Amino acid sequence: MISKQIQIITESLEETQALGRKIGMLLEAGTVVALSGDLGSGKTVFVQGLARGLDVPNEYYITSPTYTLLNEYPGRYTLFHVDLYRIENPVDLEDIGLYETIDSDGVVAVEWADKLQKDFLSEYIALHFEILGDESRKIVITGYGHERCDLIEKIQKIYEEKT
Amino acid sequence: MIILGIETSCDDTAAAVVVDGNKILSSVVSSQTDIHHPYGGVVPELASRKHIESIVPVVSEAISKSGISLKQLDGIAVTQGPGLIGSLLVGFSFAKGYAYALDLPWIGVNHLYGHINSVFLEPDSPPFPFAALLVSGGHTAIYYVKSYRDIELMGQTRDDAAGEAFDKVAKMSGLGYPGGGVIDKLAKEGDPEKIVFPRTYLNKSEFDFSFSGVKTSVNRYIQTHQEEYKDMIPDIVAGFQEAVVDVLSYKIVNAALEKRCDHIAIVGGVAANSRLREKVTHDAGSKSITVHIPSLHLCGDNAAMIAAVGYHYLKDGYQSDINDDVYSRAR
Repeated sequence: MISKQIQIITESLEETQALGRKIGMLLEAGTVVALSGDLGSGKTVFVQGLARGLDVPNEYYITSPTYTLLNEYPGRYTLFHVDLYRIENPVDLEDIGLYETIDSDGVVAVEWADKLQKDFLSEYIALHFEILGDESRKIVITGYGHERCDLIEKIQKIYEEKT
Repeated sequence: MIILGIETSCDDTAAAVVVDGNKILSSVVSSQTDIHHPYGGVVPELASRKHIESIVPVVSEAISKSGISLKQLDGIAVTQGPGLIGSLLVGFSFAKGYAYALDLPWIGVNHLYGHINSVFLEPDSPPFPFAALLVSGGHTAIYYVKSYRDIELMGQTRDDAAGEAFDKVAKMSGLGYPGGGVIDKLAKEGDPEKIVFPRTYLNKSEFDFSFSGVKTSVNRYIQTHQEEYKDMIPDIVAGFQEAVVDVLSYKIVNAALEKRCDHIAIVGGVAANSRLREKVTHDAGSKSITVHIPSLHLCGDNAAMIAAVGYHYLKDGYQSDINDDVYSRAR
């Protein structure tokens, strides 16, 4: 499958959140956003921004789904926020209904997506977070498939114009 | 009134028989039974599948341990939400069918109200109104509790739950996962003032929490002290625990003061943390506020608390309908 990769450095929590918001504004129904990176690298912070970009109302706090595994929020499209941190084997994925969720018309943001078997996703975007300093993060964004590559192109333009 | 309680909102399958919302006849939690148990296997992982395997034996065991016959039951209470939909549905659907077959009234209840009602299963329960701090792996919130059913949310976490921060810090420190209990023990060997981690109060006069920042600070500390951190684990976890406990204690005591409550309850899995118990008891004591914390077996998820809160609904004439459904988020 065709892919396109870009890299963005954010210098603060606010910038990571803003990246999420900008990407959220561009997303179409059915997009899967696969997130990976260490504990505390900014995955949940990013999804907080993503939710606002998808018009999830401010009164919804976007809290970590580590325990609940899957949180659902109303927005321009329904946002499913999934966390695979506690998942130990593929059987559990079936049990939490992830397969049905990913086939839905919502936007699905999956934390600890490295636990997913990638061949099970078709087109998707992947973000990998790396901790550089206290608040600065290197974020590698990859789009898989033609439509997702177009999305990466748009994100790239937004960030090029800024700098 | 004798109520059968059923709880399947997260990992544990639980059933209990409780009289009048305060006397436990039996309380069975599947993950606490050993692996050789008939319905055993290892700790039920995450899944509705595991709940399906456990629900019948767990309910049967709760009934048989209670010493009552099914005919003596007056109603059924079951967790309706919040929690994992697939897991909730197992208990909720089971309760519907069980109530229908036994021709009993039944009620779906809020899991979080269940935790708050866990203090009424103890002999020394607080009088109304009181302020409650609910701290667990999945939730961190403060409530103003006016009656068994009239409960006002004052504030909640905006990112991670306190228990989740404990578990993740344990994992970073190489203490395994989940590791809330290990931190409690290890922190006793450390100096809580040696490494000072940030306290996130947000707005000091409000009651929302944020624990994502302190988790990330601990991670950064470990990453930037790769050479020596392994010898400092007790100090690191003690410093972390102190940061979390400081904020929790500050907010719950202030909530009680704002609502002019003379009593505080601490409920949920993290209520088992000895430093939290000690700190809130001390801080509240200096303001002449009494602190109530349920026994350890009632801190974690259990069905006795579900039966306890359900009793108050059923007694007052509330009932759920066969068409009612579960919900994933607090409301």
